[in-house]
Order: sequence, then C-alpha cells, then structure tokens
Amino acid sequence: MNTSTNRDNEGVKIHGVTLVAAAPATKERTELDESIAPDHPWIVLVWNDPINLMSYVTFVLQKLFGYNLEKATQLMLDVHEKGKAVVASGPKEKSEMDVYRLHEHGLWATMEKDSL
Amino acid sequence: MARIKPPFAATKKGFSFNLGPEERHVVRRLIGEVGELLKTSVADDPKMARLFPPAYSADEEAETEYQRLMRDELVASRLHSIAQVEEFLADDSVGLLTFAQLDAFSASLNSVRLVLGTLLGVGEADEDLDDEDPRTDELALYNFLSWLLENAIQALMESSV
Repeated sequence: MNTSTNRDNEGVKIHGVTLVAAAPATKERTELDESIAPDHPWIVLVWNDPINLMSYVTFVLQKLFGYNLEKATQLMLDVHEKGKAVVASGPKEKSEMDVYRLHEHGLWATMEKDSL
Repeated sequence: MARIKPPFAATKKGFSFNLGPEERHVVRRLIGEVGELLKTSVADDPKMARLFPPAYSADEEAETEYQRLMRDELVASRLHSIAQVEEFLADDSVGLLTFAQLDAFSASLNSVRLVLGTLLGVGEADEDLDDEDPRTDELALYNFLSWLLENAIQALMESSV
C-alpha cells in the first residue's frame, strides 16, 4: 500500500511538470492520455458492396493502413465472403479519421464501440 | 499477331496511359460529369448516396455531426482528385502519369463507378453482360470503367512492390 501511495505521489509530480513544460512533454502527455482514454477502443468496419472491386479494396487497405499484401487481401476476402471485416481499431478520433479516409476512397465503412 | 497494350503500364519514367482519343474523351466526360454532380447535387440525392456512406449506423446524432463536419471535406477531396485527372487529360501531348496522378485517377474512376453503379442498380451478379438486358449500353460503359480501374490498380500495386 505504501509503495502504491509513493507511486501516486510521483505521478502527481510528473503530471505537474508536464503541465508547465513545453512541446516534447505535451506529446508525452497526449500519448499517456490515449492509452487510458475511456472511449478506447472503437472498431472500424468495412462492409461488402457489389460495386467496389476486390483489387481496389485491397489496394486501399494497403495504402491507408500500411498492411502488407497478405493481410490486406485477407481483410478484403473477409469483407467479400463474410459481409464485413474489422480493418482498424483505436480511440474515437482516430477511428473517425480512418472512416473518413475510407469514405474518401468510396469504401462503405462504419465505426462502432467495440462490444467486449 | 496484334499485341494489345494495357490501358495503364508502369515504365521507368512513370505510368503510360494508352487509350485512344475516343475512349479518352469518354473517360474525361464521365469524370467531368461526376465533378459537376459533386458541385451541384443536393445532400440526399440518391444517386450520390454511395459517395457519402454513413459512419455511424446506429447513432443518429453522431451521424448527423459526422456528415456536418465531413461532407464538405469529402466533396473537396473528390473534386481535387478529379481536377488532377482533368488537368492530365486536357493535354493530349502528356502521356505519362505520376504515382499520385494515377492514384487520383483511380479514385475518380471509382467515384464514377459508384454513381453509375447506383443508377444501374448493379448487383453482385452483374459482372457478365446479358444481351437481353435493357441496361446493356450503360453496363458496357460500367464494365469498361471497371476494366480501366482494375488495370490502374494492377499498375499501382506492381510499382509499389
């Protein structure tokens, strides 16, 4: 219990320093926040549709998420055969940007809170 | 033996674009028409629906907010791609596309396919043409665009290996 209290105190100290520090510390703060964000994670889904070409979907998944050909192809096949696939997950803001970029490329993407 | 060149092919200096003047004209016209639709159509125009899918299917409030924030961005981004393609197609003497230009070309071809496919009510079974189908001409055009896009993607993927 004591150990725990000490850690908490340290945490507060670090927190205090971060608040008054400049850019690099701010970045650290952001990363910390993301890892404990209460709305994490959301999932981004791509749904099957009869218009988008299989090759095009694979290409877009590689381009937007940096997946290798094997992974992108597997996700595309999941979309094609199972009707949908989770292509990404993360905090709400990131997921919304992922959905936007998929929409930009004409893919039928939605996001929802991951139901654990 | 005649050797048919693919419509897009990776070369050392960029991607060659090998369509005849008539096909080039058709592509330019269709992409231009979708550009006009993007500038003029109303928010709930059914033929444009596939260009603006819902982000939140189960949360109406979040969905309204998403459309409010992102719809104009989606229009602007598509118009930017279309402008790049139109600029390229306007000058017949320019034969080579950069990766970014071919990427914009692919996105624009897909925008046209999404609008045309929606108008035609294209389903999974529409890949083969049936002579009896009253939509034959439009489906032929749709399939031509699919063939172009397929080749564009193939060229892009081969070049990024």
